[in-house]
Amino acid sequence: MTPSRRDAGPPVDDDPAVAVARLAGSDAPYLIGVRHHSPVLAAAVPALLDSFAPDLVLVELPEEFGEWMPWLADPDTVAPVALAAARTGPDGADGPLRFYPFADFSPELVAVRWAARAGVAVGPCDLPLAHPGWDAAPGPADETDPGEPSLFATARDRMTGRAGEDLWDRWVEAPAPGSAPEAVRRAALAVGWALRHDAHSGGGVDPRDLAREAWMRARVAAADGRRVAVIVGAFHAPALLTPDPALGPALLTPDPALGPASSGPTSAGSEATGARREDGAERARGPARAKRAQISLVPYTFDLLDARSGYPAGIRDPQWQQGVVECGADPSAVEGLAAAFAVRVTSALRAAGHPAGPAEAREVARLATDLARLRGLPAPGRGELVEALQSTLAQGEPVGRGRAVARAMSDVLIGARRGQITARAPASGLLPSVRRLLGQLRLPGPGDPERTLRLDPLRSPLDRRREVALQRLVAGQIPYGSADQISGVGGADALTTVWRLHWTPVTEASIAVAGLYGVTLAQAAEGRLRTLRRRERADDGPTGIQALAGLAVAMACGLAGLVRVRLADVAQAVGQGGTLPEIVTGIDLAERLGGGLVPALADPPDGLTDVIEELYAAAVRAVDGLAGSDDLNDARALLALVHRADAAGRRLRLDHALARMADRGTPMMQAAAAAVRVVLGLDGAGAFGERLASWVDAPPIEMTQRLRGALTVAGPLLEAGDATVTPLLDRVEELTDEEFLERLPGLRGGFDALSPAARSRILAMVTDRAGDVDPTLAEDPAVLAVWMAADLAGRQAVETLGMDSGPASSGPTSEASGARREDGAEEAPGPARAKRGQISRWRLVLGRQSDSLPPGQRRLATALDELYGAGRGEGSYTVDGSGGGGRETAFPSVREWEEELDVLFGTRVREDVLARAAGAGRVDVALHLRPEAVRPSVELLHAVLSLAGGMSEARLARLRPLVARLVAALSAQLARTLRPALTGLTSPRRTRRPTGVLDLPGTVRANLRTARLGPDGRVLVVPERPVFRSRARRSIDWRLILLTDVSGSMEPSTVWAALTASVLAGVPALRTHFLTFSTEVIDLTDRLDDPLRLLLEVRVGGGTHIADALRYARGLVTVPNRTMVVVISDFEEGYPVGALIAEVRALVESGCALLGCASLDDRGTARYCVGVAEQLAAAGMPVAALSPLELARWVGERVS
Amino acid sequence: MTTGPRQIDPAEHRYADELAFLAAADGGARPPGWRLTPRAVVTFVAGSGGKPVDGPGKKKRVIDAKFIGERALVERCVVTLAGERGLLLVGEPGTAKSMLSELLAAAVCGTSALVVQGTAGTTEDQLRYGWNYALLLAKGPSREALVASPVLTAMTAGAVARVEEVTRCLPEVQDALVSVLSERRMALPELAGIDDATVYAAPGFTVIATANLRDRGVSEMSAALKRRFNFEVVPPIADLEAEIDLVRRQARVTVERVGAAYEVDDAVLETLVTVFRDLRTGRSVEGWEVERPSTVMSTAEAVAVAASIALATSYLPGRDPLSLLPGHLLGVVRKDDEADQGRLLAYWDGALRRRAGTGAHLWRQVWEHRDALEA
Repeated sequence: MTPSRRDAGPPVDDDPAVAVARLAGSDAPYLIGVRHHSPVLAAAVPALLDSFAPDLVLVELPEEFGEWMPWLADPDTVAPVALAAARTGPDGADGPLRFYPFADFSPELVAVRWAARAGVAVGPCDLPLAHPGWDAAPGPADETDPGEPSLFATARDRMTGRAGEDLWDRWVEAPAPGSAPEAVRRAALAVGWALRHDAHSGGGVDPRDLAREAWMRARVAAADGRRVAVIVGAFHAPALLTPDPALGPALLTPDPALGPASSGPTSAGSEATGARREDGAERARGPARAKRAQISLVPYTFDLLDARSGYPAGIRDPQWQQGVVECGADPSAVEGLAAAFAVRVTSALRAAGHPAGPAEAREVARLATDLARLRGLPAPGRGELVEALQSTLAQGEPVGRGRAVARAMSDVLIGARRGQITARAPASGLLPSVRRLLGQLRLPGPGDPERTLRLDPLRSPLDRRREVALQRLVAGQIPYGSADQISGVGGADALTTVWRLHWTPVTEASIAVAGLYGVTLAQAAEGRLRTLRRRERADDGPTGIQALAGLAVAMACGLAGLVRVRLADVAQAVGQGGTLPEIVTGIDLAERLGGGLVPALADPPDGLTDVIEELYAAAVRAVDGLAGSDDLNDARALLALVHRADAAGRRLRLDHALARMADRGTPMMQAAAAAVRVVLGLDGAGAFGERLASWVDAPPIEMTQRLRGALTVAGPLLEAGDATVTPLLDRVEELTDEEFLERLPGLRGGFDALSPAARSRILAMVTDRAGDVDPTLAEDPAVLAVWMAADLAGRQAVETLGMDSGPASSGPTSEASGARREDGAEEAPGPARAKRGQISRWRLVLGRQSDSLPPGQRRLATALDELYGAGRGEGSYTVDGSGGGGRETAFPSVREWEEELDVLFGTRVREDVLARAAGAGRVDVALHLRPEAVRPSVELLHAVLSLAGGMSEARLARLRPLVARLVAALSAQLARTLRPALTGLTSPRRTRRPTGVLDLPGTVRANLRTARLGPDGRVLVVPERPVFRSRARRSIDWRLILLTDVSGSMEPSTVWAALTASVLAGVPALRTHFLTFSTEVIDLTDRLDDPLRLLLEVRVGGGTHIADALRYARGLVTVPNRTMVVVISDFEEGYPVGALIAEVRALVESGCALLGCASLDDRGTARYCVGVAEQLAAAGMPVAALSPLELARWVGERVS
Repeated sequence: MTTGPRQIDPAEHRYADELAFLAAADGGARPPGWRLTPRAVVTFVAGSGGKPVDGPGKKKRVIDAKFIGERALVERCVVTLAGERGLLLVGEPGTAKSMLSELLAAAVCGTSALVVQGTAGTTEDQLRYGWNYALLLAKGPSREALVASPVLTAMTAGAVARVEEVTRCLPEVQDALVSVLSERRMALPELAGIDDATVYAAPGFTVIATANLRDRGVSEMSAALKRRFNFEVVPPIADLEAEIDLVRRQARVTVERVGAAYEVDDAVLETLVTVFRDLRTGRSVEGWEVERPSTVMSTAEAVAVAASIALATSYLPGRDPLSLLPGHLLGVVRKDDEADQGRLLAYWDGALRRRAGTGAHLWRQVWEHRDALEA
C-alpha cells in the first residue's frame, strides 16, 4: 500500500474471515449485500427477512424514489419494470438518465414486495438525485497497484481462467443452489468485501460512492432503535458498518433541508397521496431546487435488461435468471432447467434450418452437468450451460453455424418478457417536459393553430435549439412538425430549414408512448434511436446505409453519445463493406462533424480523425473495385475522391491503386486513371498526350470508352490546350478522310462525355490554334472553278508523267461521298483549305457550330446529332453563338436516318452507329436492326435486351427475330468453347495404388507367374503385385446453381450468365439451376432449354439481397458435396453483410463449392464492392472476374 | 522398450513420473478406462497454478502448465472425453492444438501413439482396417490377415484415438468415422460368418481430432460427422507478453541449434510480434482497422522471422536488424495472394505511419524502411 493514495474511504479488515464474520454478524443494521440482479439472492431474501423480522427495510434507491415504492410493490405491476429518473440541470439541459430496472430476480424488488406483504415499512436509502454528491468527479479507474495483485485477479486465476469471468457468478450464483439462505448472504458479503478490498488497494473508492455511503449510514442511524435490514450493493455493505466521522458530516451538512432526518421512510402500505407529500424532490430547497428530478415508472423488457443491450448493471440472459428464481434455486430443479434450455435452444436452432436434435440436447445437458461436477458446483450455472451449448452446437464456426447458435441462444436465454405497470401509477414525466420545452422555444403547443417556421440554425441560437428539439421529436416518432425538403444541389447542405408545426391529439398520445424511452425529449429520442440500432444489430446490421442514416439523425438531434456510437458503426459497416459512394458520404458526414458545421454539436467527438482515416483507407481499397466499371459516374467519383484525398494529404496509397487501374481496368477506367494521374501531377502531360492520341487508332467502341474516361477527368486540361492535347489534335488531323469518317462516330461519342460548353471551349482552342478562316469565299465562284480546272489538269499531267500524286489525293474534296458531290467546287486550294478542313473535322467531332460547316458535312453532323443529341451538363440548354439553332431538321423516321447513314458512312459504320443508338436507348432503332446483317456480339444483345424490358408484347415480337438470331449465334459460339472444358465422365481404372477395392481377377492375372501347387494340392497364387480399382468418378447428379444479380441494370454479365447457363444445361451429368435475384428470387430453371425465352424473362431492378438468394439456393441442395453455387453479382449487398457471411459459411460448411463472379464476361475486369468481396472470400467463397470459359473450366474441374 | 535419443519425446514418456504421481495422488472415481481422474487430467494439462498437489506418501509436487490457455477450455475437453464423446479441436494454424490432443490422450489412456495423420491421400484403410493382401489371398479372410488401424486398435483397447488434420481427408474417408462414433463398433463384412465379424469398442474409447480453420480448401466435414463431435476452438495466444516470450524462446532454440549466438533486441522482437498480431487480428493494438492479409500470420511464422533476423545479425553483422523486417514480412505475406503485398503496404501507410507519427523512435525507423515493400 502506498501512502500517497487518494483513498479516503473507511478502512477495511485485512483478514477475510474476520471481516465477513463481522459483516454477517451485524444486526444493526442487518446487511444483505446484493448485486442488482441475482436470482439466488432473490430466492433467499424472503427467508432471510423472515428470520430477521425487521421493523424497517432500506433499499439502495435514491431518496426521491420513496413515493414510488407502493407502485413497485403493487400486485398489478408485473416485472420487469424500471424506475427512470432524470435530473434537469440549472441551465435547463437534460441531466443523465438513470434507469433502475427491476425484475423478479432483483433482490431489491423482492424485498419491497416482502415488506408490502408483511406490512413492514420500506424506504430508500441512497443519496437523493438532487444531491451534489452525485456530481463528484469519478475516481481513477483501473489503477491497480502492480506490486500487489488484486484479490479479484488472484481469485479469477484460480477459477476457470476464462476471459471476462464474473467473480460474482462464480462465488455467489453458481455454488448457491441447495445451500442455506444464510450461506448465500455470507458469500455475497464476501464478494463485496473482496471488491472493496481491491478498490482500497487499487485506485481508491470513487468519491461519489463515499458520499452515497455516508448518506446511507446517516439513514441507518436515523432509524434509531428499530430493527433495520439494509439491502445494498455488496460493495457498499462493508462501508455501512464503519462509522466515519471525518467524512459523514462534511457531505451531509451543506444543505440541512436535504438531510435524511427530516424525512421518515414511507410505509409501503401508506396511501399514494401521503407518499407524494413526502417526496424528496419537493422538499428540496435552496440551490438544489433547480435540479429537480423527473421520475417515471416504465415497463421494461428482458432484452433491454440483458447486459449486451448496453445497460451497465445488466445481467446476462434474464430468461435463465428468471428460471433460476422461479425454481427457488434448487439444485435438481436447476439441473432440469439446464436440460430444458438445452432442448429449447436446439429446437430454435432446428427452426432456423440447422440440424440439431435431442441427441445434441442430451449432450449439452450432460456436458453442463459434468462440467459443474468437475468444478465442484451443486448444479450447472449459466456459465456451464453457455459453454456446453457452444461446444456441442457451434461446431467451431464463429460466423456460420455459430451465429445461428448465438441467435437461438439469445432468443431462448434472453427472452422477450415485457413488464407492465399498475394502472393506478401516475403518468410518465415526458409530457410535461415536452410542453415546457416547447413553451421555452416559443413553438405552438396544445390548442395553437398550425404554423410554418423558417429556421436558420447556423446563425440564431434560438433557432438552433428549436431545430434540435424538432429533430428530436421526429426521431422520437412524435408527430408534431414536418420538415419541408430543401436541400442544396447535389446534396449540399441547405442553410435554412422550413418546418410545419401543429400540436394534435396524436402528438400527445405519441408522447405517452415515447415516455417509455425516457423522461426528457433528448432521452426519448436517444432511447428510440438506440432501440432502432439494437434492432438493426439483431438483424446482423447495421448496414452501411443504416449506419450512415443513423449518424445523420444522431447529428441532427445533437446526441453526442449516439453520434459516437454511430460513428463507430459507420467506421465498421462502411469502412469494411461500403461502396465508394457510401464511403464518400461517410467522409462527408464525418468532416462536417469535424468542421463544426453541425448546429447541435460544437465539439467533434473523440476518435473522429481515426474514423476519417479509416474511411479514407476504405475508399482507397474500394478504388480497386471500380476497375471494371463502364459507368462515367464511377470515373467522376474517382476524381472526386482523389481531389478530396489530395486536399487532405492522404494520397500515398491511392497512387498505387491508380497505377494498377491505369494498367488493368476497363478501357474507360484505364483512361480515367491515367488522366487522374496527370491531374495529380504523377505523370507528365506529354506522355499522357501521346497515349491519348494513340487511342484514336483503337477499335471504335474501345476508343469511345477510353476517350470518355479520359475526357471526363481531364476535360479542363484539354481545354487549356497544352501538351496533353496537341498529339491528339495532330493525330485527328493526320487521318485520311476515309479513316476519319470511320472513326467519326466513335470520336464524337468520346467527346460527348463533355458538356456542350466544354466542347465549345475546346473548339475555340482548336480554332485559335489553326487560326480562324473565313468560311465565305474570297473570290467569285466562277473564277474559282477556272482555277480548279487548271489544278486538275496540272495534276493529270503530273500523273501521266508517272510521278506520285502526293497528298493532293486526300484533299478535303474527297471527304465523303456526299461531300464529294457538292463541296468540290466550293473548296479553295492552298493552306487555308487544310486549316478549314481541320476545323470542320473538329466541329464534327465536337458537335458544335454545325451550321458553320459546309452543307455536306452538315448532313454528317445532323446524322450524328440524331444519335448524340445536344449533350448534357453546362451549356446544353443555351444556344452557343452559331451551334444548335442552325441544325438541319431532325430525321422524321429511323428509316431515313438509316439510309442517310448508309450514304454518308457506308454499311459497316452504319451498323456500328445504329448499335450505339440501340445501346443509348433508342427502341425504334433496335427494331430496325436487320437480324441477318448484324454482327452478333454480347454488347449488342445486351443493348437490345436492355430495351426489351419496357416494351409492349407487340413490339417485343418484332424484336424477337433479332434476339433469336443473336442468341443462337452466341450460344453456338459459346458452346463450342465450353464443351471441351466439361468432359468429365470416366469409368473406374485399374491401379496399383491401394484404394481398398481389390480387383481380384486383375490381381490373379497379374500374378499368374507365381502360381504353384500347394502341399495340399490347392493352387496357390502369391499376389506380389495386387491390383485395385480406382473409384468411379462421380459424374452423375452434379448440381450447379447459378445465382445472377439483376438488381441494378441489365449487365452484360447477366446476358453471359444466361447464355452460359443454357449451354451448361445441355451437359449431361450436370443439373443446372438458373436463378435471378434482386430482393426477390426468381427460379428460371425451367426456361433454360430456351435461352431466348430465358433472356426475355429476366426482369431487372430492385435492391440486392444476396443472402436471401443463397438461402433459397440452400433449399435446392440435396448432396452438398456435389453442389456448386455460383453467384454473379457486384456484391453491393443492401442488407446486413453479417447475414450474408453466415449464409455463405452455412453453405461452405455443408460442403458445397462456392464461387463468386464479380463479373462474367470476356474482359476479366469487374466493378464490385471490394470490402464485401474480401469478407466473402475469407468466409470460403472466392471472388473473381471470370470469363464463361473459365467458369466452365472450374465446373469441369469440380465434376471430374 | 529401450529407446535411443529422440528428436521429440512423446508426452507419455516425457511426463511419465508426473503422470504416475497424479494417478496415485487422486483416488477419486475415474471414467471407465481412464488412468487418472478428470480433475487430475485438468491439473496435468493446465497445471496446478503454482500450488503443490498432495501425492501419495506425503509427497508434494507442483505441476507445471503445459498448455497456455484458459483452464475452462481444458475442463470442457476433459468432460467431453469423460462422456466418451468425440472431441474436435479447431483453430488457426500454430495454436498448439496437436500438443493439447497429445497431452490429453497421454493423460487419459497413457498413450498418444494411436494417431492418424490426415492428408488428401489418407484412405479409409487408415481409419478402419486394411489387409495383409498376401495373407488374405493365400489363406482367405481371417482376423490374422487384418491390419488394424490406430482407430480400430483404440477401440479394442478402450483408448483415445487421435486424428490429426481431419479436414484434409476426403469427405468419404472422414465419414468412416461416423459409424465408429455413433455405433461404437466396426463391422468387418469380409469376415461375415466368423465369430468376430464385428469389433466392439471397449469402454473409454473416444476420438480427438484436430482441424485448421484457415485451410478449409481441401474438404469440409459432413454435417453427420460434425454432429458427433464437441468442438473446441483453440484461440491464438491472447497475451502479447506471453507471445513475445514464446517467440524469443523458440527463436533462441532454433538459432542456438546451429551454433550461432542469439542477439536480437527485445524491442525488435516486440515490434515484430506486434506487427504479426496486428495483421493476424485485423486490428492494431491501438484499435485501428488494419487490412488482413489472406496468409496466416501464425506465431510459428513469427518465430521463423525472428530466427532469420537473428541468424542474419549473427552471420552477417553490421546491418540494422529492423531494416530486415520489411523484407522478411513480405516473404511471409506474399504467398498466394498478390494483393497481400498491397495490404502490407496499406498497413505500413496506415497504422504504422500513425504510430511513427506519435514519435515512437523504433516505429519511425521501421516506417522509414517502407521502400523495401514496394518492390
